[in-house]
Amino acid sequence: MKRREFGLLAGTAGLALMSGAGRVLAQDMDLKPTSGETVYFRGWNFRTDVVQANVARYNEAMDGKVDYATVTGDYPALMEQNLMASAELDMFYANPSSACRYFDAGWVLPANELPAYAEIEAELYPNLKDAWTYKGKLLGLSYFASTRGTMVVNRKLFEEYGFTDADLPKNWDEVYDLIYRMKDKGIETPFLPHWFGEWFGISWGFVLEVINRGGTIADAETHQPTITTDEDGPYYKTLAAWKKLWQSGMIAQEVFTFNEGGYIDAFASGRYVMSPQQIYDIETFNRPGRSQIAGSCSLVPMGDHPWGIIDSGLYVMSNRERSEALTDDVKKFVSWYGFKDQDGKIAIAQNWMQENMLFSGYKSVMESPETAERIKKAIMRPEDYDAILKIYQNTPFPKGIWSVVWSEEFNPFLKETLSSFLFDDGDIVETLEAMTAKIEELNGKYGI
Amino acid sequence: MAKRSIFLYLAIAVAIVWSIFPIYWFCRMAFLTPNEIRLFPQPFMPQVFEFGTFYNIFGYDYEYAAGYVSGASGQSNQIIRGVLNGLFISSIVTVITLLIVVPLAYVFARMEFRHKQKLLFAVLLAVALPPVSTLIPFYSMYVQLGLNGTRFGLIVVTLTITVPFVAWMLIGYFRNLPPIERLARIDGYSRTSCLLTLILPLAKSGIAVAAVIAFLFSWNEYTYALVLVNGTSANTLPTAISGFLGQYPEPGNLAASVIVTIIPPALFAYFLQRHVTEMSLVDPVR
Amino acid sequence: MAVGSAGQAIQASTPSRKPRREMSDTRFAFLIGLPVLVFLMLVVAYPLGYAIYMSLHQIVFFGGYRANFVGLKNFIDVWSDKSFINAIWITLRFTVESVVLTMILGLCLASIMNQRIRMAGLVRTLLFLPWCVSSYAAGLMFGQLVRGQTGILTTISFTFGGTQGVDLMGRATVVEVLAVANAWLMAPLVAFFLLANMKTIPKRLYDLAAIDRLTAWETFRYVTLPPLQFTLFVFASITTVLSMKMFDMILIMTGGGPGTASATLTYQIYKRSFKDLNLGYGAAMSFYLLFFILGATFLIYLVWGRRVSR
Repeated sequence: MKRREFGLLAGTAGLALMSGAGRVLAQDMDLKPTSGETVYFRGWNFRTDVVQANVARYNEAMDGKVDYATVTGDYPALMEQNLMASAELDMFYANPSSACRYFDAGWVLPANELPAYAEIEAELYPNLKDAWTYKGKLLGLSYFASTRGTMVVNRKLFEEYGFTDADLPKNWDEVYDLIYRMKDKGIETPFLPHWFGEWFGISWGFVLEVINRGGTIADAETHQPTITTDEDGPYYKTLAAWKKLWQSGMIAQEVFTFNEGGYIDAFASGRYVMSPQQIYDIETFNRPGRSQIAGSCSLVPMGDHPWGIIDSGLYVMSNRERSEALTDDVKKFVSWYGFKDQDGKIAIAQNWMQENMLFSGYKSVMESPETAERIKKAIMRPEDYDAILKIYQNTPFPKGIWSVVWSEEFNPFLKETLSSFLFDDGDIVETLEAMTAKIEELNGKYGI
Repeated sequence: MAKRSIFLYLAIAVAIVWSIFPIYWFCRMAFLTPNEIRLFPQPFMPQVFEFGTFYNIFGYDYEYAAGYVSGASGQSNQIIRGVLNGLFISSIVTVITLLIVVPLAYVFARMEFRHKQKLLFAVLLAVALPPVSTLIPFYSMYVQLGLNGTRFGLIVVTLTITVPFVAWMLIGYFRNLPPIERLARIDGYSRTSCLLTLILPLAKSGIAVAAVIAFLFSWNEYTYALVLVNGTSANTLPTAISGFLGQYPEPGNLAASVIVTIIPPALFAYFLQRHVTEMSLVDPVR
Repeated sequence: MAVGSAGQAIQASTPSRKPRREMSDTRFAFLIGLPVLVFLMLVVAYPLGYAIYMSLHQIVFFGGYRANFVGLKNFIDVWSDKSFINAIWITLRFTVESVVLTMILGLCLASIMNQRIRMAGLVRTLLFLPWCVSSYAAGLMFGQLVRGQTGILTTISFTFGGTQGVDLMGRATVVEVLAVANAWLMAPLVAFFLLANMKTIPKRLYDLAAIDRLTAWETFRYVTLPPLQFTLFVFASITTVLSMKMFDMILIMTGGGPGTASATLTYQIYKRSFKDLNLGYGAAMSFYLLFFILGATFLIYLVWGRRVSR
């Protein structure tokens, strides 16, 4: 056994022993599988060592038979193939937008079916519960939730050029003002925009800015487009600001080909002052020995609006044909893994917090003393802790375009449209009208 | 003469730099500290050469001379398994490919028969199929056959790539060999013994190169392996490495694993290139 | 002069005598060739059939997942798709540049390796190294090498007092960068086959060339090159196919970007099938790609191959 894995196992097992020794075994019995059949758990490739240790802990403590493997390549597309082929699959990772699609195809057993549903519902932050609910059903349990688009600041460069807290922007208009002021003071590359090459790069960059500026893109219930071409509206203003930024020549074309790692590392190199990033990456930027700006990465606190949108992952239960006893076992495992273990602890989520600072949808995880300590270790200034929690609890979710069956199809369209808008000096109104037309086309395709 | 050799060695030097530098620039990251990797601009070379990342990818912690410890990588299980599976699968694919392809190429290159063009076209069709369009069909077929995540399944898919490709390459090569077997067949050699005792030794170089190519196609196959076997007990090295690419990038470990992927084929190539030698026979065409 | 053609002339003029109790050439060929083709067809048939099925259908979600027959709609729609037309041009540019570069590089490398030099084994292995690199790793390497953030040019520029990154990942140069990377990757393969071929050229011919006092270039042009013609043709076709199919390197290096500047046909197919989750449309596009690949190889055969394979 590899050392790291052993450490993890020993750690989690030890934790379980210490806290579990005194507790009654009633719940323990509830979560023990009975069918003797295998439960299949599939996920994308992220810290498989941690997941393996978690599953091993379940199999050992609960005498379970959970089979875990990753699905790699293009996760959403391949997962859809698995579900189409009714492959052996009981619990899997999904983003909320994919989960909606699977739900419509009839492949999802919503979390409302879990015995502990009422308790789960009470634990969830309202904004997250809303993001994860589709057609009145909770699509799955919290794997992680993050704010994508948290405005992080490289204080080293920021202060070196004489800027102070008073200069921090309160809204997106002020962000752009600040960028040009920084440029005038001689900073070559003040801003790294959310325009990188992943499918969630430039498209989500647009979505998050528009939502922060008060837009919706499509109606949360009817999914009819709500994009306006009014010059003071959030949509027009976003694209106008982008056009100006692009034409200023401050942004290198390479940004459009960064993958997520490249995007993170570019900011960690200390070249840039401000950038919308994933909230938990503040930890990455502040980690000594891994980042050129360690110890000097802070964030812009919530101003007129929060920064960013919710980016999250769920544990989803499949609805495939299987024996009733096995379905019960699946529910038990999902409950144990996605919520509370036999000791009544939300252990997995807390473990992710300690390991990678993945935020959870559960209040008691986010507000626990361990979490506070963990986050405080990763931030530059004590006041950033409150700023992080405040932004996190208020992050919006673009329900109109993400809680809908065509979400995954709209996204690549947005990516291509936006980059060609910048590269080919596209017309703002025409670009916005093209988006409206695309949403209408997708609604037509699915009869919405 | 001296001038010629200076020119020659200059050309060799340029060719070597051209071949090596892109590899160097990337693999240098295996020796940079995580902090140096995020420097802008990037340093030409590492300050110290320590092999920490290699320990990490094989599952061991490493304490650097500077005092900090870099932890074992979470991917290490998959890396180790990837190396073993990769060697196993590539060797099998290479052997099967050669067994199939050498006679096939011989027949196509040296004999005239009916429907030859049509059969050649079928080979071409198999070569021309882009993996990106057969990937999803393959995946769903494998899910239904239960071949997902098995080494057998990957071997079959890889053969569909190596067989037509290597066949195509060898056909061209065989055509250029001197038509020695015509004379031999007049002397009463059978077709099979002609192939075994005359053509094979003659075609040694081409077959050696073909073996290297089959091995490399298999060893480096990424698109299918990523989808069909990654994350299972049958995963291969390239896909195991892709784990370093995701949302949790570790460029140092990535570079170290890329070095590991280059070593076996480089050794294989080193031993086989010796067979690319002068023709041992006296020129038969006189 | 060319021993290959001389040999083939003999081959053609020799009447093939068939000893008794031996099967005909055709039967022998089928005995060896057919099982292989049957295997290929079996394994490829299902995916191909599935792709055809998908290309004729559209997927419906509500009320259970199913596919509706739409006929040739996908095949027709493709032609009114700007990104498809754009992708054809990018693929063409990428392929032509890749193939020309690969052939030139292959010849250069093979010529170097064909010299009598010390430590020839080591040199050959070093020159062969790029082919040991998988295409996705080559994508990583060249991406790292040419980006302003991490690239060598930025480092050099700063060494000489520059203050800005030098970035080749722009729209103007990205296809050329990809083609160079692709040629870097494929050239050793071509070089080694050419080398193996060069080794079959009888030394006598070089002795004769020396007696005739041919220059180095003339020797290359009239002694070395002619017998390589057929191999060059075969590899021009192979590298054409490989370039048109190239996908993982492009995906990892540029992701089709910046914008759609390097969105080749393979990338568009991937995007339609894996991102838009529109399998039918992606499948229709991939049949066009298949058609283009076959067309390109036939074209090469018509203008070049027919001449050298006779």
